[in-house]
Amino acid sequence: MVAVKKSKKTHESINNRLALVMKSGKYTLGYKTVLHSLRNSKGKLILLSNNCPPLRKSEIEYYAMLAKVGVHHFNGNNVDLGTACGKYFRVSCLSIIDPGDSDIIKTLPGDH
Amino acid sequence: MVKFLKPNKAVIVLQGRFAGRKAVIVRSFDDGTRDRPYGHCLVAGIGKYPKKVIRKDSAKKTAKKSRVKAFIKLVNYSHIMPTRYTLDVDLKDVVTVDALQSRDKKVTAAKETKARFEERFKTGKNRWFFSKLRTAVNCKYLVL
Repeated sequence: MVAVKKSKKTHESINNRLALVMKSGKYTLGYKTVLHSLRNSKGKLILLSNNCPPLRKSEIEYYAMLAKVGVHHFNGNNVDLGTACGKYFRVSCLSIIDPGDSDIIKTLPGDH
Repeated sequence: MVKFLKPNKAVIVLQGRFAGRKAVIVRSFDDGTRDRPYGHCLVAGIGKYPKKVIRKDSAKKTAKKSRVKAFIKLVNYSHIMPTRYTLDVDLKDVVTVDALQSRDKKVTAAKETKARFEERFKTGKNRWFFSKLRTAVNCKYLVL
């Protein structure tokens, strides 16, 4: 499966939007809470790192398909996603519950 | 953003004695109760799947092979895997939390559930629900 080459500009804008969500919105980090947010239909967008284990990735995608929530495959591994969230730990999956001032939910899910 | 853990949803139990068995949500408690302060649901599932019936089988053998054993259980949401399938068998009157309080109430509820499951199986609908879960060894992706 050929991945679409993400240009540097859009990648940076995702990072910017994510930073805005971290500052002004609500989110949860980590597999367990992502599933929680999908089950009680609070999650609005899911982001997965590219080195998320394939079984876990497909499980989260399945839940998101049931909940009709967009999933974005972040162009970077869990270290990069953690850095993009401004955290000093690795983040493999995160769920955005309330985007705050960011428009990440409107601009991202064209992607699956 | 759509709630999907609703009654009539087919799920797979992941933990416990009935791990790997298919079940249907009868009632869901999203916010938990006093005794169980977490999201959980009342499910009715298949304890023993009906066996494969072949053309050679006599009527008596077919009847024996088409038997289903049912179970009723309260399961935590994190111990079930929801699927895209549904099973609309009306179990609301039979399967209640009240039925789980004593052993004989549970047995009668399970017997009634068994009867309804068998009736549905014999019509040949919901074939996915009454077949054992396909376990693919070495499968990296989720296949449901």
